[in-house]
Amino acid sequence: MERSKAFGTALASILLGGGALALAGYALASASPHQAALVCQATTTGNCTLAISSFPDSLAGEHGKTGGAHPDWVSYSNDNLVAPANTTVTMTISQYDSGGALNNKAFFGRVWGTVGGTATIATPNTAGTSYTTATVTKVDGSNVGHTFTLRGVPGNGSPLFVSVPLPASPSTNSITVGDAQYGSPVKVTFSFKTGGPGVYEWNCEYPCGGSREGQFGFAMSSYGYMSGTLTVK
Amino acid sequence: MAEMKNKENLKGMFATWVILTVVGVAIGVWGPARLMPRSMSDNMHLTILTMVVFTVAAAPVAAGVYAVALHALRHWVHKGDNVPAPAADQTRENATLTASWLIASTVLTVFLLIWGLGALAVDNGSSGRNPLVVDVTGQQWVWTFSYPGTNVQSPTLVLPEGRTVDFHIKALDVTHGFWIANMGVQVDANVGTTTMIHTTPTALGQFDIRCTQFCGLNHAFMVTTGEVVSKAQFNSWLASQSQKA
Repeated sequence: MERSKAFGTALASILLGGGALALAGYALASASPHQAALVCQATTTGNCTLAISSFPDSLAGEHGKTGGAHPDWVSYSNDNLVAPANTTVTMTISQYDSGGALNNKAFFGRVWGTVGGTATIATPNTAGTSYTTATVTKVDGSNVGHTFTLRGVPGNGSPLFVSVPLPASPSTNSITVGDAQYGSPVKVTFSFKTGGPGVYEWNCEYPCGGSREGQFGFAMSSYGYMSGTLTVK
Repeated sequence: MAEMKNKENLKGMFATWVILTVVGVAIGVWGPARLMPRSMSDNMHLTILTMVVFTVAAAPVAAGVYAVALHALRHWVHKGDNVPAPAADQTRENATLTASWLIASTVLTVFLLIWGLGALAVDNGSSGRNPLVVDVTGQQWVWTFSYPGTNVQSPTLVLPEGRTVDFHIKALDVTHGFWIANMGVQVDANVGTTTMIHTTPTALGQFDIRCTQFCGLNHAFMVTTGEVVSKAQFNSWLASQSQKA
């Protein structure tokens, strides 16, 4: 009697534990990491435009005024971009953050995969009162805020590689974005051609993830901060 | 009486050691060739042979540990809450046992060291005359293979059977790991440095190439395929790819 009771208890524990694990796995697998979709806005020429921002925290983007779970983590304004297939996308990224040195300056400091192999960078002065614009093929890899690095996912969509360095903002002024205050942003504009339908992934390659995993932890290794997807339809 | 019992127990422990050693040696001889990827190169032959030799050499040592553990569990169990009195028949400072253990350990360790250094020397040795050079480039999350002297670039790797291949490996963005399990080839692909490794394909067929360094979001998908073909098929493939390029 005692033995069968013990056996029943052990079996129930195993089943309950297994069930709890299965439930947790299902919840993790089905949890949507994405924010609201930001759809590329069609232009009269048949192309489209996307505008996003990179912030030194999470107070001005899709995480809301409170910054969500980690208001002090660096973030892009949106992690869920959508664009039509076989179209030229012109993208403008307003980069509000300061910066430092890339791990691989020569490679990630270069502009890759854009139309003409260039990006146009508008840099504010320290007071934020005027901008200097230049079209470049590379930037100083030791003074980069973030990168926008977009790649095809193996086996999903066409081959694609676009990588654009976003220089650090030199501004010390204060402007309001949402409810947050930042210096004037560096504005980086570039175009690239989407391929066939599929999900493409992008992320930052500047080590801005705090003190873990060689500064690739926290915001760099969590959904909704320094990475996202481009869904091409 | 206690001494006789102890001797009987030690005989049992010795018998257990012999049985476990035989099992370990059998696993060592049988396992590696069946559990490891199919060998398709001289490097992989050597890797599998090394696994066999090391497992067989380790079998008596592991068996000794397990035999003593089993013997202890069977005969040295103390029941009750009190602290047991020291056994009267303990074996201490047995010079023969100590010397045997030391000599056996030393011989085994030196043997494994010499074998390992020899295997490394073979891996790092000359690639011989007329090797086929293949430039390997890793980039998140694709591999590209180019064949110097031609204009061929390919996302898959095609190799001729029987000809030594010199891989010149580099990475463009972050550190990757170039791994062909079937060929016993695994080396890091670094930014700014070219690493080299060579092998000679010895069997026709397909194989996978994977990245072994965590290199970002889609590291797990940084996989491509390769194939070992006959020399004639290889020349034909190279010519057709050259025309496409």
